[in-house]
Amino acid sequence: MSRAVRLLLTQRIALLAVLLVVVVVTFFINDMGGYLTAPYDFDYMSASLISAVPLAMLGLAEMLVILSGRGGIDLSVGAIVSLAGMGFGFAYGEWGWPLWPAILATAGLGALLGAVNGFLVSYIGFPALIATLATFYAYKSLAIVVNDQQPISTAPVQELFTLSKSVELPLFGRYVPDVPLGIFTFLLPTVVAVWLLLARTGYGRRLYAIGTNDVAARWAGIPVRDTRFKAYVYAGLISGLVAVVTVGQFASARPDAGVSGNGMALPAITIAVLGGVAITGGIGRVAGVVLATLLIVWLNAGILLAFVGNEGSQYQLLALGAVLIFAALLNGLTNRKYGGTQ
Amino acid sequence: MTAVAQARIRKRVLPSPVTGQEVVLAGVIAALWAALAVGTPAFLTAGSVQPLLVATAPVALVGVGMTIVIITGGIDVSVGGAIMVCSVLTAKALVGADVGLGAAVLLSVAAGGVLGLVNGVLIAYGRVHAIIITFGTANLFMFLGLRIFGSGTVNGIPGTLAFFGRGPDGRTLGIPHAFLITLLITAAAWWWLRHTAGGRHFFAIGGDAQAARLAGVRVQRRVLLAYVLTGLLVGLASCFVIAQGTSTLDQSVGSGKELAVIAAVVIGGTSIMGGRGSVLGTLLGALLVQTVVSGVTQLGWRSQLSDLFVGIFIIVAVGADLLRARARRNR
Repeated sequence: MSRAVRLLLTQRIALLAVLLVVVVVTFFINDMGGYLTAPYDFDYMSASLISAVPLAMLGLAEMLVILSGRGGIDLSVGAIVSLAGMGFGFAYGEWGWPLWPAILATAGLGALLGAVNGFLVSYIGFPALIATLATFYAYKSLAIVVNDQQPISTAPVQELFTLSKSVELPLFGRYVPDVPLGIFTFLLPTVVAVWLLLARTGYGRRLYAIGTNDVAARWAGIPVRDTRFKAYVYAGLISGLVAVVTVGQFASARPDAGVSGNGMALPAITIAVLGGVAITGGIGRVAGVVLATLLIVWLNAGILLAFVGNEGSQYQLLALGAVLIFAALLNGLTNRKYGGTQ
Repeated sequence: MTAVAQARIRKRVLPSPVTGQEVVLAGVIAALWAALAVGTPAFLTAGSVQPLLVATAPVALVGVGMTIVIITGGIDVSVGGAIMVCSVLTAKALVGADVGLGAAVLLSVAAGGVLGLVNGVLIAYGRVHAIIITFGTANLFMFLGLRIFGSGTVNGIPGTLAFFGRGPDGRTLGIPHAFLITLLITAAAWWWLRHTAGGRHFFAIGGDAQAARLAGVRVQRRVLLAYVLTGLLVGLASCFVIAQGTSTLDQSVGSGKELAVIAAVVIGGTSIMGGRGSVLGTLLGALLVQTVVSGVTQLGWRSQLSDLFVGIFIIVAVGADLLRARARRNR
């Protein structure tokens, strides 16, 4: 018994998996009892995955910068999504570029904006919170000013909506629900790439090393600045890809896409922390972030059905806040009792 | 030990009353005001400066609390949500129960204090980094605020709080009350942080919490106090926000204010790493940000451009501070 508790407390992935099962089973039971406004079934769960695409990708972006240590954090990812999305809108919607070069250019623009963050943090020595707060303001402002507050929704951009439609899987697709296309075109490649980067390359090992102990890594001959700089570049690159996804979802390049309301940065940081990424750096896994995204997405999807009208979206805030604080306090407890989470 | 020697020691222990950052900031603000006065003749008139001071007040006031929090090495990103809760609660009380000025302020400040207490307890006793806890409570507060809002806006807010507003009722001798109160609280906090043991404890905690604890500082209580104080100031600032608005309060109230406050604090020279900072700088930082916002509008530029300048000012202000720190180390 105590072993099971210990496993749950120290292995974040085990905890998330259990929570995920609890959430889904709870909503299934509610569904059978007829308490929900619409059926909560595999079709609905699969369709709701569309909101997991930007969330998980930005969660992974935050993971990379938080891993790099020394207070690493990126408040500007939402603003990068806005600005890179406007860039994509211009290239693809106004200038008539073909799709692939436009996507590559948008990812490149995102990487460039991330490089500004990385340069300020890693080479000049700004605290990450301040540098990305400043670039958040700057990018957000530029995104709004660049097209006079107007969204770009010309015909080619509108047709991109097909990117977010659901498709039937080949071979066994008849037996499982249709899955949003974005999962395969954007999310899975990003997840695999980040996992490969962290677990199978020297760069990944260096990133964990500088996040765990900056000074020791430098004495071990690791190019600390360069490694940390690249973490911000990768985060910007992923944000640029999210910009393409977001433009497709809205069928329009909106100047406030990533910063309206609560913005995209805060939920992304929340997902990363919930996924077991230590805010002090050096600890965190791709699987944790993906599981945390599924948990929040399916929880939110259920909450939306459990309430009438806009109350559902309000209770989503409560759920997100409560889950985050619960996970954080649990981390604190685990640190004292078992010496840390894995 | 002679009195002279004691005085010399005291002089050495205390930081200088005005930091270099603050002098530069005051200079930059003066230069901006001069430039704006030349650019738009309407700028240096009472009709333009008074609204600027009124608009500075809420950010600067919350900034006092945020400065103390950041000095202890923490941060509070939930103040936007807290402003929402306090202002909608107070607005509902003004409309529904027709409470007086004093009761409204008391209600708002008390509500803010409770929210600050939640943050403080979780951070001081939960041993979790402040940014994570306050990200969480930011969501909780927004939920709470939206629930109190119900489905729509709060309409028909009476002019009970006009004492803090932009109108003629909100001024004495031409100085807006909201700014005057902010100025007084900033001055009191400046004295408290610089000249009392209790105030110095915050710096000790931010410098090294473990060392502070060993030196006899009750670290957890002090940290708790910092967040409660921020909450109380959020409560008062929410009254300013209601008074400055129209008779309708909508659900976007407070949104993004946490970043505006943090921007004012870091432009004012407070180190985000903790252990160093001043509320005077924060007031100047808030004034600079508001000057930029109001200047951009008066020059007839697109108002969203002001965010770009705010970003640039953060980089320049903190960059200058970094360079000075580097120069100090190399000396």
